[in-house]
Amino acid sequence: MKRTRLFPVIILVLIITGSLSGGCAKIQQPSVLRVAIPYSDKIQDVNTNYYIRWLEEKTGLDLDITLIRQTRPGEYLDALFSSGTDIDVVMFGGDFTLSDEELGAFTEAGDVYSGDGTGMYLNYGATARNRAGQILWINHEWLKKLQLSVPTNTEELEAVLLAFKNNDPNGNGKNDEIPLAGAVDDYAYEPYELILNSFVYNDPYHSRIIRAVSDSQSELQTAYTDEFREGLAFCRRLYEKGLLDRGMFDGNLSRLREMVNSPDDIVGAFTSDSVSDVIYQGNPEIMARFIHVAPLAGPDGVRNALYKADKPVCGAVINAHSKRIDEARLLLDTMMTEEASLIARYGERGVDWDYSEGSDVSIYGGASTIVTFNYIWNTSQNKHLNGIGPMNVPDKYLKGVTWNGINSDTEYIDGRAQMAYRDYLPGTADPYERDEELSAYLDGRVKEYITGSRDVSNEEDWKEFISGYDK
Amino acid sequence: MRNRLLKILPALGVLIVATLLAGCGSKTEVHDEWLESARLDADETPEELYTQALKEDVLIVYTVSTRLTEVKESFEREYPGLLVEIRDLRSPNLVSAVEENYQKGGSDCDVVICSDNSGDFKTRLADTGIVTGYVPKDIGKHFKTADNGQEGILSFVYEAEMLFYNSAEYESCPIENIWELTDEKYRNRIYMPNPLRSFSTYTLCTSMFQTESERALENAYRDYYGREYTTDPKRSDGEGTQNSCAALFWSRIAASTVFTNSSDEVVEALSNGNADFGFLVSSKMRFSDIGFSMQPVYKLEPFSGCRTSYSVSLARNSKNINTAKLFIRYLLGGEDGKGEGRKPFDTLGTWSARDDAPDGNPVALEDIDLIIPDQDFIIKQDWTEEFWTRLLVKN
Repeated sequence: MKRTRLFPVIILVLIITGSLSGGCAKIQQPSVLRVAIPYSDKIQDVNTNYYIRWLEEKTGLDLDITLIRQTRPGEYLDALFSSGTDIDVVMFGGDFTLSDEELGAFTEAGDVYSGDGTGMYLNYGATARNRAGQILWINHEWLKKLQLSVPTNTEELEAVLLAFKNNDPNGNGKNDEIPLAGAVDDYAYEPYELILNSFVYNDPYHSRIIRAVSDSQSELQTAYTDEFREGLAFCRRLYEKGLLDRGMFDGNLSRLREMVNSPDDIVGAFTSDSVSDVIYQGNPEIMARFIHVAPLAGPDGVRNALYKADKPVCGAVINAHSKRIDEARLLLDTMMTEEASLIARYGERGVDWDYSEGSDVSIYGGASTIVTFNYIWNTSQNKHLNGIGPMNVPDKYLKGVTWNGINSDTEYIDGRAQMAYRDYLPGTADPYERDEELSAYLDGRVKEYITGSRDVSNEEDWKEFISGYDK
Repeated sequence: MRNRLLKILPALGVLIVATLLAGCGSKTEVHDEWLESARLDADETPEELYTQALKEDVLIVYTVSTRLTEVKESFEREYPGLLVEIRDLRSPNLVSAVEENYQKGGSDCDVVICSDNSGDFKTRLADTGIVTGYVPKDIGKHFKTADNGQEGILSFVYEAEMLFYNSAEYESCPIENIWELTDEKYRNRIYMPNPLRSFSTYTLCTSMFQTESERALENAYRDYYGREYTTDPKRSDGEGTQNSCAALFWSRIAASTVFTNSSDEVVEALSNGNADFGFLVSSKMRFSDIGFSMQPVYKLEPFSGCRTSYSVSLARNSKNINTAKLFIRYLLGGEDGKGEGRKPFDTLGTWSARDDAPDGNPVALEDIDLIIPDQDFIIKQDWTEEFWTRLLVKN
């Protein structure tokens, strides 16, 4: 009886003390940070993404993710700042990138928080730095069918392309083969740029100028050399014979991709930086069809590989009008740490990758630093943001990653190609600063000489060309 | 109470062991529902299988050979309406992937094509019943070796993990004895895949420790150095190696070798002049057709490599059993061995396992100086991973 009477009292006391203690030790809600991320079909669900959740745990922030559907970052930021939408951080990646100039304009306008620097949190980690930026890929099934060897010089390349054009290597009875295909989107897809490297070092990314490496030397504009002219004449011959894709001067990358990935097997060769830029990762049959070709020797035995020093791109900016600048900085600083960057590049440690004991071989040769169990880069996954956002992956990991054993893995295919080109990279890793006007002038003339709207053998025209830009 | 517990303990123990065995995928019960419905002993014509296969989903093939992509393409042409997805993996990754798929209860795999000499395939997939054999009766009788110790799982082609030389550099093989590879002049001029990541290279490395191989290696040592091989008590190659002649050989080779991820990289190194010699899988010989400068070493004292084979099997729980059976028939070349499915394997460096379908190799497999791996021996060598890890880290 006594116990029965006391019971409600005890419960009441417990409720009161519970409420009081709950009030005293009230759990602080995490700060909500609103983050805009460009949509990517390589991320399954940002709300359950492993990396996002890891960042939340690490920073104690609650990340409220908004997906950006626009494709033009400048327009998106214009709309964002003019509307006053409550977004604290904007991330970039893939095709959604912001140039230094575009960023500068937003910073000057006071819309992008600049802190002590540019306001840009960099993305450094998508590819290994300091590498060959253009690789030639050839259809070895066609070589096999036609009993041809992989070309080692420009003369052999011409013979192979001619056989591709005339001997119906895809066996469909139609004259539908494109011996050497290309696209206008980037120099990496323009195969004549690679061919010109068999005549003289040709770096279209840096206005084709070789920087002087000592006081006794002067800059060399390689486009004005006899060797370059000889290379142009060779490319013109290939074009005249129908060996170079006629659509490469105005056709875009989508067109190139469609042609190369076509089940009709219509492309003999193409050039690109990474094979995955052109061949879809989920297409192992097409991937197995193409192998890399080492730099071709020109008539004088010249072989060059185009050097590409990847500049880090913009990974994220902070909205200067945000009321949570400190939280935004905390997030982005965390993303720039090695621990976070390795997740951003390779996924969950212990599940998708781990540090190597050193008994594995890196895909770039040498001892490995990272062993991948599930190589998920450029696949549909939910472990990281597939290159979106800031990161800083040390080179020792980018170059020390091992192969995951999948033959169609593009990083492995690229790594092997890089090893074949490595010995032909230029000695200096300090290229000339690009001059946009000069590049436009030179690129236009290169196109005209190859398509034949100007005659590269015409002395007067050539003289006018090499003095033309100075006028 | 204590007595009752004692009485039920043995029964509990049996139950626990049985549960654990079942959990481990041990092949304790072969007459399961899947196996019965698969009708692996049935006499079925390709036409009957095709009719049934049209009701099934995309066939998923896990393979270590890129040539399966060619088989897929011709199979899909031959049997319109059937689709095949190829997952091309390195052997250790393939075994793990198939095992994981099975353990998760998935059916994301129908046909498995794998190097079957290292012991991993046998112990982890065949002995556990994760894969099972399918040998069509009318075709199986034509195979030279119908049983390679894996309960009817068919080795459908033979290859070799063997030495090649750079044929742009040398008109003929510049060495006659395998110990010549340890000469200083070949330092960093030998390439080979990492044996811990390539089943066929692992098989070569481990089969050299077989008793007969050891004796042959010792004799070759005497022939080359002019003195008997003796165990140096000061030398230690690690536990399990017993400071044998093979351990000495691999220790010296590891110090002179550039290790790669795959045979393809060895082919490229031979062809671009970075390598004088390379150990690689013989099927890559086909790349000499498109100008890669490498030639196999058929004759070498005491051996140039070891024989390897590739098996084809069905993944247990395959939901596309008719398509899988039809695909395996097709891959084996059909009843007469002349079908398109065999053609991608009818290349230099791949030897036919059929007695009615000759291959086009200039030298018969039997005429090459090769070790025949003893799989039971290889499986027992549990020290090799540590041995190779040490050598790889050191070098």
